[in-house]
Amino acid sequence: MKPLEIPTFQPRLKVLNREQALAIHTAALEILEKTGFKMEHPGGLEMLADAGCKVSNGDWVKLPSYLAEEALRSAPRQIALYDQRGNKAMTLVNGNSFYGTGSDATFTLDLETGQRRRTALRDIANFAKLVDGLENMDFAMSMANPEDVPIEDIYVYVFAEMVKNTNKPIVFIADSGKDIAKIYEIACHVVGGEEELQQKPFILNYSEAISPLHFPENVMERLIFCAEKRIPICLPSGSNAGGGAPVTLAGAMALGIAENLVGLVVHQLVGKGAPFLFGPNVSVLDMKSTVVSYGCPEWSLTQAALADMRDEIYGLPIWAFAGASDAKVMDAQAGAEAMFSIINAMLSRANLIHDVGFLEYGSTSSLEMVTMANELVAMSRFFARGISVNEETLALEVIERVVSGGPASIFLMDDHTFEHFMQAQFLPQLLDRSRYDSWEEAGAMDLYRRCNIEAKRILSEYQVELKPSEVLKGIDQILQGR
Amino acid sequence: MSDFKALTEAVIKGDVKMAVAETQSALDAGSNVQDIIDKGLIATMDEVGERFSKGLIFVPQMLRSAKTMQGCMKLLEPLFQEGNVTSKGKVLIGTVKGDLHDIGKNLVSMMMEGAGFTITDLGVGVPPEKFVQKAQEVEPDIVAMSALLSTTMPAMSQTIEALQEAGIRDKVKVMIGGAPVTDKYAHEIKADSYASDAGSAVSKAKKLLGIS
Repeated sequence: MKPLEIPTFQPRLKVLNREQALAIHTAALEILEKTGFKMEHPGGLEMLADAGCKVSNGDWVKLPSYLAEEALRSAPRQIALYDQRGNKAMTLVNGNSFYGTGSDATFTLDLETGQRRRTALRDIANFAKLVDGLENMDFAMSMANPEDVPIEDIYVYVFAEMVKNTNKPIVFIADSGKDIAKIYEIACHVVGGEEELQQKPFILNYSEAISPLHFPENVMERLIFCAEKRIPICLPSGSNAGGGAPVTLAGAMALGIAENLVGLVVHQLVGKGAPFLFGPNVSVLDMKSTVVSYGCPEWSLTQAALADMRDEIYGLPIWAFAGASDAKVMDAQAGAEAMFSIINAMLSRANLIHDVGFLEYGSTSSLEMVTMANELVAMSRFFARGISVNEETLALEVIERVVSGGPASIFLMDDHTFEHFMQAQFLPQLLDRSRYDSWEEAGAMDLYRRCNIEAKRILSEYQVELKPSEVLKGIDQILQGR
Repeated sequence: MSDFKALTEAVIKGDVKMAVAETQSALDAGSNVQDIIDKGLIATMDEVGERFSKGLIFVPQMLRSAKTMQGCMKLLEPLFQEGNVTSKGKVLIGTVKGDLHDIGKNLVSMMMEGAGFTITDLGVGVPPEKFVQKAQEVEPDIVAMSALLSTTMPAMSQTIEALQEAGIRDKVKVMIGGAPVTDKYAHEIKADSYASDAGSAVSKAKKLLGIS
């Protein structure tokens, strides 16, 4: 008898139909063609004018739709990011999802005292090391801005610190064309040169335009630098609903996508075929506190919608967020919000998913939060794989065997269980399923405590594969040469 | 007439048309301009601010009330005679050099205006020398600075130094705010006050100037 071969359906979330996707896309194009945008970079302005845009009042640009469509066609459908040893680590294409930390928080929860305090450079090292040691964290970001380095070089220092403490891909921030050149120099130094970095990039730049429709000079400097050097980049804006954008989600998405398209057009004019990660950040501005929410359902919803637009229209890999919270401490709210966004980002098949480990709407970073999220990602991955249905998993023979096997015959004893349980079940490490007595005996710890202990364990036991000393020395020389 | 109940209600509701009509009828009934502003409009905005800080209303509702108040002020402004209408204080505000974000700064401006302050808004990317020059010109009680980016925070300290060098640091109170800004940073750069959001910016401004 031939075995059953049924393809496994992988559960996924769909929130827009084709008509909705096209309507939002068309609205984005209309914003660029009719409303226009402010381009403060002289070179960018000239390029756009030469390409066929209308420029008025000095720096106000109106962009014909065909330019956006052309840029969408020339940008690559896949971005491959490598680890720092040259192994392919993340293939950003179709529905592949990868998770990593965020950047630019002001505070961190101290691992020893639990107190919220300003971050220092050593925290950046800890986050990078933790990411390196966690199986489901695929890339590192700096997480926070330390107070013990000169502010003007802050992004160079945190980049160097990350490189010293992880070998995973790095998503980095820069301020202008000046510091990004230094960061690039360090990255080239790590892999052995410009050629090597271009061939196997381990870095991706995250930059932000300002919503609504404002493109400052220093932001465009970074974008143009990346396009020239073919460093992958994403350029979302702050088109959060009610703040940088209309309060209604469709309008906020249209605006955010329009802003992304401006970045993409300039990017492709500078470096045709250079890698560009698509996607706006469409969260909400909270109507009481005016913070941009990191725990809201809206951000997950607009991301799912963007994934549908990717599948229907754009074809480019997309940028997303997950695993963060508005809660001030790692409490039940933090867990609920983190899981909500983690599972939804995966079910909507977003590609590069950042901000894992934030509390307090992105103002506080937490090593415990990252540790918890690592397990939540594993749980989500298990769910998103679906249910494999075949002869082996239907296990009719096993049922027959156990049922007819007499009183001592139980499924737990059967070889089929032994052979399959590791794949057939999700086996949690931090989520507690122990019996009450053993939980009490082990110290009656909640998830926050367990994550705290696990984060400390990783930081003390885990060894990051060290870079050669001449590489490390070179990094310090580049840093000091500033 | 000292009862501005209908005007108060209209401002709270954010009904511009009704509020303007009520302002007009208060004028027609012989109320003086200062009374309408103090007991009608500003008292109502204090109440609105109170409701907001208690979490009873949302930002757009508060801003609609502020907008309604401004509609009424437009009607009253032509009736001002030199010196006969007082402001809670003059505030010079801007986003600092190198930073072009303005949502937070605009929110603070609106709230302060609603609370009865006179606002001079310098916009975004304001260099220290412009803060100084404008401060010399309008003689504000408060200089308020905003920054969203960590990398632009040093411009706050540079602005304070520039005020010092121009010899006017003692004549103004300096307030700062924005996502990366902390109370500690405010102390470090010798600002007089730090506010974490627009609502507290108003109360801190009042405290700085010793008004309730």
